[in-house]
Amino acid sequence: MRHAWLALATACTLSVVARPALAQGNYEIQVYGAETQAPGTTMVELHSNFTADGQKQFIDGVDPTNHAEHETIEITQGLNDWSEVGFYIFTSEQSGTGIQWVGDHIRPRVRIPERWRWPVGVSLSMEAGYQRAFFSQDTWTWEIRPIVDKTVGRWYFAVNPALERTWHGPDVNLGVGFSPAAKFSYDFTKQISGGLEYYADYGSITNIASLHNQQQQLFPAIDLNVSPKWEINFGVGIGPTAATDHWIVKGILGRRFDWGRKTSQ
Amino acid sequence: MSRPIPNPQRTALPTRRNFLRYAALAGSALLLPSCARSQGNPTLDPSGPPPAPPDVHIDIAEVDWELSPKKKIRTAAYNNQIPGKLLRVTEGKPVTIAITNNLDRAEIVHWHGQWIPSDVDGSMEEGSPMILAGASAQISFTPRPFGLHWYHTHTPAHRELKLGLYSGQFGVLLVEPRANPAPYDAEQFLVLHDWEPYFVSSDDGSEMVDYAVSSINGRTLGHGDPIQVKEGQRVLFHIVNASATEPHWLSLAHHQFQIVALDGRPVPIQAKVDLLRIGPAERISAIVTMDAPGIWILGETRARFRNAGMGVVLEYANRTGKPLAPAEAPLHWDYRIFGDSSPTAHAPDVTVPLVFTSRFEGHGALDRWMINGKSYPDSEPILLKRGLRHRLVFENRSKDDHPVHLHRHAFELVSVRGAATSGIFKDVVIVEAGSTVEADLVADNPGDTLFHCHQQDHMDSGFMTLFRYA
Repeated sequence: MRHAWLALATACTLSVVARPALAQGNYEIQVYGAETQAPGTTMVELHSNFTADGQKQFIDGVDPTNHAEHETIEITQGLNDWSEVGFYIFTSEQSGTGIQWVGDHIRPRVRIPERWRWPVGVSLSMEAGYQRAFFSQDTWTWEIRPIVDKTVGRWYFAVNPALERTWHGPDVNLGVGFSPAAKFSYDFTKQISGGLEYYADYGSITNIASLHNQQQQLFPAIDLNVSPKWEINFGVGIGPTAATDHWIVKGILGRRFDWGRKTSQ
Repeated sequence: MSRPIPNPQRTALPTRRNFLRYAALAGSALLLPSCARSQGNPTLDPSGPPPAPPDVHIDIAEVDWELSPKKKIRTAAYNNQIPGKLLRVTEGKPVTIAITNNLDRAEIVHWHGQWIPSDVDGSMEEGSPMILAGASAQISFTPRPFGLHWYHTHTPAHRELKLGLYSGQFGVLLVEPRANPAPYDAEQFLVLHDWEPYFVSSDDGSEMVDYAVSSINGRTLGHGDPIQVKEGQRVLFHIVNASATEPHWLSLAHHQFQIVALDGRPVPIQAKVDLLRIGPAERISAIVTMDAPGIWILGETRARFRNAGMGVVLEYANRTGKPLAPAEAPLHWDYRIFGDSSPTAHAPDVTVPLVFTSRFEGHGALDRWMINGKSYPDSEPILLKRGLRHRLVFENRSKDDHPVHLHRHAFELVSVRGAATSGIFKDVVIVEAGSTVEADLVADNPGDTLFHCHQQDHMDSGFMTLFRYA
């Protein structure tokens, strides 16, 4: 397996997050790397996100996020050396509601193969799916996410300037939203990398929200590269704006399975 | 006019670290248009007798090469061909070779597997002068030992993946034996190489080199001349892995390889195998009896390398059809089946531990490699005592396999993973990750001698050391 930041490439970020800040979901919190899963391999990940201090009120019938525990299962299958497809099962557990199925997404992704020898890693992800109105008023959403990353020595950089579109829900008329994410990290050792992840939702690209209404999150995070078969990520997020959940704890545990794939020897 | 090039041992130590600085001296090539060196006489007096006329010319230049009609590359090569022309010389008969470097950088040609003096071996670490940009050199040596060897560039590449062994600078050197190791009806030369390298992250988290294209004899599978055989023939295959970093696994469906020599040296037991493992810089001489008529692919058993071009079509006479590829098989190789199972009868005079380790430099960087805790050129030479038997203990504590190579000598394998063997003489041996290989070296060829991993990215990152005769 590649190192952990690149191995994390199978996930998505705040794709379930609708543009209105009050509908923040936080089901998957991850910056994409450009790498895709190798053909013949499957990555199974569990995203566990707990909102320690979030939205406490029902708004327009949407469940509040405060103290919500969101568990997302992500299964990504490598198709060839330049594509993969991911599938998501979103769940939420909250006092009084128990474990609830939230929705599902599918996410095909293509990349520039490494053999093209581009100076940076580049891939393009599309994600579409459904989430129940109890958890997001926008029930059908779509996202396109360009991904650029680069590893230089011990440093890693990635940017994901994602664009989102609501297919069904009150935000249909808002057009395309801009939800960038970025990350940098440093390899302290071969096994431990640490850095900062940034997630935002600026609202519609034709009508950028005021700072007060933007979602802005910063996650100091670490990655543990303990094995090629495992990926482990942990972070604590701070949301400084009123529209953002203020404290979130996130963790990702992933296991890769090789289905008869031969590694070079 | 012929003038000597300065002996770098007398000027600055020509390390790989200061290679660029040394290469920058190429400007002085205008003042030193050519040089001549002979065995044991690296600094010929220009007023002395003129060197012998060369038997062989090697021109180093950029070439546009067609690996296949759809895959063309531009790379440095010898005599405008890939591989360079086959050099057939006779053991014990001196040969003079003229080399012209038409590149814009200094170059050097290493005579891999030859027991020749340091100043003509083709390694600046040993004191062989580089050939400056635009300059010529002439060297002479007496080929020995006989067998399948090769010649190739010995310059570093670091992160420039068009340099060093990533380029097309390699060719086969066949030193004719006084007697053939085994009877055969025909012979074929197969030179493996990988092209269009790029950096990827390896499974263990460090950066490594991978390739987009592979070839045999400079052509991808299906685009070179097929090997024509007749039923019943015994064909001797001379196989050289000229890849900068990749070991390769070759097979030929429904045929077996009878190994007659490894690294040019005859083996005690000519065992038959279905699958060949050949590490970077290793050579295998194997006879295949053509007893399964058909159209076959002789190539990588691993589909991803074969699909990248590592293969050649083998056609029996009067047979037609689509070539059939070898099936993927468990990758297994054991040097010991070609050796005597009894331990060597000789006790070592000196034991030389050589411990291979690496230091992580970041997920976006090549590891730093060390022998006995030191990276070249920060290591001290290891002293050899002339005439003594040195037991080299290669202990690989890293997670990579390493094809380690000793210049100007051969060593005898004594044990592999703790199991005794004897009678196998090589100059390259793959020391698998986490394993130990012992080999005996009789110090009988005085002069500085380079020892290194033959993976270009490893040797560029410090995996080498110098043996020096006390």
